[in-house]
Amino acid sequence: MARVILVFNKKVIKEYPFTKENLTIGRNEENDIVIDNLAVSGLHARIDKSGGTYILTDLQSTNGTFVNDKAITSHRLQHKDKIAVGKHLLFFAMSQEEQAKAKEAELDRTMILDTAQHKELLEKQAKEKGMEVSAQKERLGVISFIDGSSQGEIKLTKKLTKIGKADTSEVRLGGMFMPPTAATISRRPNGYAITATGGRTKIKVNNETITDSRFLNDFDTIEIGSHKFQFYSQESEEEK
Amino acid sequence: MVKLQASGLSDTGRQRDSNEDSFAIDNALGLYIVADGMGGHSAGEVASKVAVQIIQRNITNWINKEVNEDELFDFPDDTLGRMGNYILSSIKLANRVIYEMSKEYNEYKGMGTTIGVLAVMPNAVISANVGDSRIYLFRGRAIEPLSKEHNMVSEQLEMGLISKEEAKNSPLRHILTRNLGSLETVNVDVFEIEPKNKDRFLLCTDGLTDLVSDEEILEMVYQGDDPERICQQLIDEANERGGHDNTTVSLVVIDNLGDKKPGGIFSRFVHRFMGKK
Repeated sequence: MARVILVFNKKVIKEYPFTKENLTIGRNEENDIVIDNLAVSGLHARIDKSGGTYILTDLQSTNGTFVNDKAITSHRLQHKDKIAVGKHLLFFAMSQEEQAKAKEAELDRTMILDTAQHKELLEKQAKEKGMEVSAQKERLGVISFIDGSSQGEIKLTKKLTKIGKADTSEVRLGGMFMPPTAATISRRPNGYAITATGGRTKIKVNNETITDSRFLNDFDTIEIGSHKFQFYSQESEEEK
Repeated sequence: MVKLQASGLSDTGRQRDSNEDSFAIDNALGLYIVADGMGGHSAGEVASKVAVQIIQRNITNWINKEVNEDELFDFPDDTLGRMGNYILSSIKLANRVIYEMSKEYNEYKGMGTTIGVLAVMPNAVISANVGDSRIYLFRGRAIEPLSKEHNMVSEQLEMGLISKEEAKNSPLRHILTRNLGSLETVNVDVFEIEPKNKDRFLLCTDGLTDLVSDEEILEMVYQGDDPERICQQLIDEANERGGHDNTTVSLVVIDNLGDKKPGGIFSRFVHRFMGKK
């Protein structure tokens, strides 16, 4: 079993065995480890046991939580870590068995949390920060023609939308010099980006000619030859 | 024809006894795969090897037979082209096989792997991933991710719970929210972009990205033109900084995209005049 040893002025005040899933540290009486000192916040920090590891989290305390003299927000505790809360010190000690296990865990640290577990953990953290958790929705890009053509709006549902004269294009554009594919719009990890594919048709985004790729922002105006349309994104039905 | 240069290297690192990463390179198909296995004993190694093999074999087979999207392992995703569906389906198949293996055999219990797959073709580049192995695009001397990270930290970042700085040192960095093998089905992030001449791509496991920042990777990827040397330098860098994990890197460079797109109605004549096909 792990232990937390509270020390003040080089004297051991008390030892706290880790008998539950978490230990809270703070000035209020309700805490597991009560430190009656003005430098310590009411609810200052918490240590959570998760599997074989112990995670210390500073609960946005006024004066901060330090591990081995470094300020932390969240820290995985190791044997003999020195936690400083105000002028009080807390030493973290693991049993020999736990130390051996921790060493093993260190060597194979990648682990997987199932969907329910990780959603629960995120919701808990969000609540602590006073945030509402709503299902995050993907944004779906839309192009809206503003050149008086009858194309109207086209949703960019494909990962790669081809724009040009070819029959296989998702967005078909006419014109004497229009190549089979004049440009593509791709849905990338960082958002939608337009890429000129090297034909002779000029491609402009907000009046600037592009020859390479460029990320699109809402209401950017795109011109391809004589065609003109606007890009914007809307909330998609699909959940992330 | 697209002319590609590619190299891949995998290293055990300085602290572990075995290498649980796997990778594959197929320049003829323009197909590149990396996987980072997890699970006790040698199960992680088995998971990453099985994943790479299943994905490579099935995609190769489907391409050769020109298999229709409807005949693949799972329903086709209509936001993707045919090759995108080949990749997606092969990853889902690998997931199912690893899942069944881990259920069936005691020694494989709890095994899993991340996966990163990149296909470079004349008209599209497709990237797909599960877990925290990454795929990067280098274009115009800039670095851009072509993969999503499926771990706790990225979700916390996206929700605004923590800052970028906090994410770097978070103890939750290595907690994945998705991998191949732990559930019967898996969600895969797939991206498709238009290739450009001189594009470079890097597939890598977290042995590299834990220790070397995006900016540093960008700088090193443009230090020279020999993919093998660049791969070696990336691995050396991870090892010099402690090499706490296995590191696998694969660098792909588009040397020449070829003349795939005539630029308007005159280009045919221009090309003939210039003596090109």
